[in-house]
Amino acid sequence: MTTPLSPTPPLVLGIDTGGTFTDAMLLNYHTREVLAAHKSLTTKRDLSIGIEEVIDGIQITDPAAIKMVSISTTLATNAIAEGKGKRVGLLLIGYDAELVESFKMNERFATPHYYYFEGGHDLYGQEKAPLDLAGILATVNSLRGQVDALAVSSYFSPLNPEHELRVFEAVSSICDLPIVLGHQLSTKLGSIERATTAALNASLLAILQDFVVAVRRAMAHRHIDAPLMVVRGDGTLMSDEFAAQTPVETIHSGPAASAIGGRFLSGIDDALVLDVGGTTTDLALIQDGQVNVTEAGATVSGYKTAVKAADLLSIALGGDSAITLGRDRRLSLGPERVTPLAYLAHQYPPVEQRLTQLASRTWDHESAPHLQYWYILHQPQASRPLSPQQKNLLRFLADGPKSVPDILKHMGVLHPAQIVVNELFRQEILAKAGLTPTDLLHAEGRFTPWSTAAAEAALTILGRCLWQEPAKIREVVWRQANETIVRAVVAFVSGISLPPPVIKDKSFGTWVFDNSLYHRHPHLDTQFHLQIPIIGIGAPAEVFLAEVARVLHTELILPEHHEVANAVGAVAGSIMVTEEILVYPQLSAEGLDVIAYYVQTNEGREIYEVAGDALNYARSLAEERVLGAALRSGADNPQVTVEVLPNGLDSYRVGAKAMGNPRLEKR
Amino acid sequence: MELIRIDTQKAYEQLRDRIVRLQLAPGALIDEQQLSAELDLSPTAVREAIKLLAHDGLVQVTPRHGLYVAPVSLEDLAQLSEMRAPLEALCARLAAQRATADELAVLAALRQEHHGIAASDSGRLFELDHRFHQAIAGAAHNKYLAQTLETFFGLSQRLWYLALPEIASLPAAVEKHLDMMAAIQAGDADRAERLMRTHVQSFYDEVKEILAKKLG
Repeated sequence: MTTPLSPTPPLVLGIDTGGTFTDAMLLNYHTREVLAAHKSLTTKRDLSIGIEEVIDGIQITDPAAIKMVSISTTLATNAIAEGKGKRVGLLLIGYDAELVESFKMNERFATPHYYYFEGGHDLYGQEKAPLDLAGILATVNSLRGQVDALAVSSYFSPLNPEHELRVFEAVSSICDLPIVLGHQLSTKLGSIERATTAALNASLLAILQDFVVAVRRAMAHRHIDAPLMVVRGDGTLMSDEFAAQTPVETIHSGPAASAIGGRFLSGIDDALVLDVGGTTTDLALIQDGQVNVTEAGATVSGYKTAVKAADLLSIALGGDSAITLGRDRRLSLGPERVTPLAYLAHQYPPVEQRLTQLASRTWDHESAPHLQYWYILHQPQASRPLSPQQKNLLRFLADGPKSVPDILKHMGVLHPAQIVVNELFRQEILAKAGLTPTDLLHAEGRFTPWSTAAAEAALTILGRCLWQEPAKIREVVWRQANETIVRAVVAFVSGISLPPPVIKDKSFGTWVFDNSLYHRHPHLDTQFHLQIPIIGIGAPAEVFLAEVARVLHTELILPEHHEVANAVGAVAGSIMVTEEILVYPQLSAEGLDVIAYYVQTNEGREIYEVAGDALNYARSLAEERVLGAALRSGADNPQVTVEVLPNGLDSYRVGAKAMGNPRLEKR
Repeated sequence: MELIRIDTQKAYEQLRDRIVRLQLAPGALIDEQQLSAELDLSPTAVREAIKLLAHDGLVQVTPRHGLYVAPVSLEDLAQLSEMRAPLEALCARLAAQRATADELAVLAALRQEHHGIAASDSGRLFELDHRFHQAIAGAAHNKYLAQTLETFFGLSQRLWYLALPEIASLPAAVEKHLDMMAAIQAGDADRAERLMRTHVQSFYDEVKEILAKKLG
């Protein structure tokens, strides 16, 4: 049988699932031409709905021509930022509790459920103390029902993972919780970062697995039979199977993809990429055509991890950031993300009627709280235990969204905090809606897919409560958005952070910043001059960034298809596989002489008498492993590099990296 | 990541659970299409899962009449107990001789967990009993023995569910684990073997009595 020549060139489908929008685009891989692009709303309760919608929107005529699907997602980052990851029990073995707590490093573990146990190894991989397995098992038993996953990090486990492996073996005999081991995620010795990384990975496992399965299902429904890749935080690609095991590597994958996509679409090699989404705005630097990567480890929501990722800054400001009225009657923007009122009213017409009615009450100056709505996003499973109060609330919301004052009245309480429902928001059973920049755009007629009437009414109501014209409200919000983004740009590019604007600060830095934005001083003018252009990404980019670019005296570039640049970036990366092997000395009994060298891999260790032999073995083993893994992941002709880095006294990290473009034809 | 593998696994677990818990009655006809719709999984995944269940002996395939949930009989029960009692006893003996400190810690933890379970929570008691037998099988360090016992356990579970409303001694049976554990911990192979044999046998005897009335 002969294979006929494919009449269509190989196509690749890039998808980006953001906090608010799901974008997709179809690219001719050889000519790099964007053939189609589409945008739909992210459906958080089941991401596959949004993904299927976006694939439908692309109108694929020949699914067989698609040779790769690649996906970037802010799922992991958002889950951490919004505290929506699964609950994790972190088992710390051989950590010095007193030391950790005295430096408040426990606040960096990314979970409130952490426990210390005896055990662990020393700098030479020797057992420091016997493992307290009985204590660990008793703790795991007591955590039943309180956590969804477990993470284990043992002191110096990259040198000797024995204790982590023993815990895995024993704990999996008494429960079915997924267990993440620190040494499998990081070979670096920093014990706090390793624990944090393991805890975050555990909290994201189920989320990423569901996601990968949802994408696979959406592909199957559309008859797309192609390898699925997931973008890492540094913009490279990994197979879906790998991603489901190491979700923590997808932290920042959305922003990394949008930076790569921005460069790809604009052809500019040096720029600041600003991606304005619904939930966040992300900043990344492109230098010499590459995304800046931080070797130090990605930080997400203040948690420092051991994961390599693009050097970027993410701020909680986007098209759907909540505009709220504080106690001091000042407007604030973000950080919470809510459903725009325009969208809620579009879905539930009674909301529009209610808002217009409130807007017509010219005497009412106290109705601003009515701009906050709660509603049911999806019904809880019947098996879910609910408190009487929660049941009451769900019954009240059953026939549609209700404003917060109505809810308080119905529930007979004075403050929302008296209603214990955080868990329902966390599980996306309930959601909040409110006034957002997206509503402002509706009122201004600049972006109007949903209810403009509701948006206008909401602005009128808020304006009246502040005794101000709606136009003035819009001005204040936009000015605040602009200031927040400029502040982030200045801090990100300079590496120096300014005190938050709420603090009345008389420092020179704050004066320069303020004066450069608003030119208040009559004689002494200052200004920012960003020497590289800004590439704007995302649907609201123009609205948010025109003023930012003006204040920074630089050019704003909005490349064609910029609203789906992150989807483009999802396919523009290379496949990469890395592997690290540690080589470290075995000491004599007195601990004075090096008598041999260990070569430590995930599975076990070998002993060599001479350092050179140990390093040679580690090099060839690392090389062989990454090459095999890269080929299995679908890389075409992967190029392997191996480097040996000193890792403390007589110890070495042998790192191998295989990179290649995706192989688009099946072999 | 193979979607069909994930779905097959899902279908297998759900169907197995339904059969074991008698939601799919012994002897009932299996309708692949209906199950595929109910589980919201592809017909291929359901078919693959049924093949696995047939291999477990929980589903019967007859060339002419299609697929049935394997029927249960008193004879099954007798045959299972004949096999399981001596093998579980052997398993306990080996565990007493071979269990590592880590494995003993696991057994102790399971015992501790038992304290937290209400006597009426038969679902969790069954689950704990299963884990306990698995842990002992692990401590025996013989993979063929462990595999064999796992299969028999699956087949027996269904009979227990059938007798469940009338079993009075489930908490007591699970309670027996305590003595057994002490024997394994002490390395007393004879005692561990004897206790396990009695534990398994007496439970079968009780179930047999109940089912004899039920099945006539």
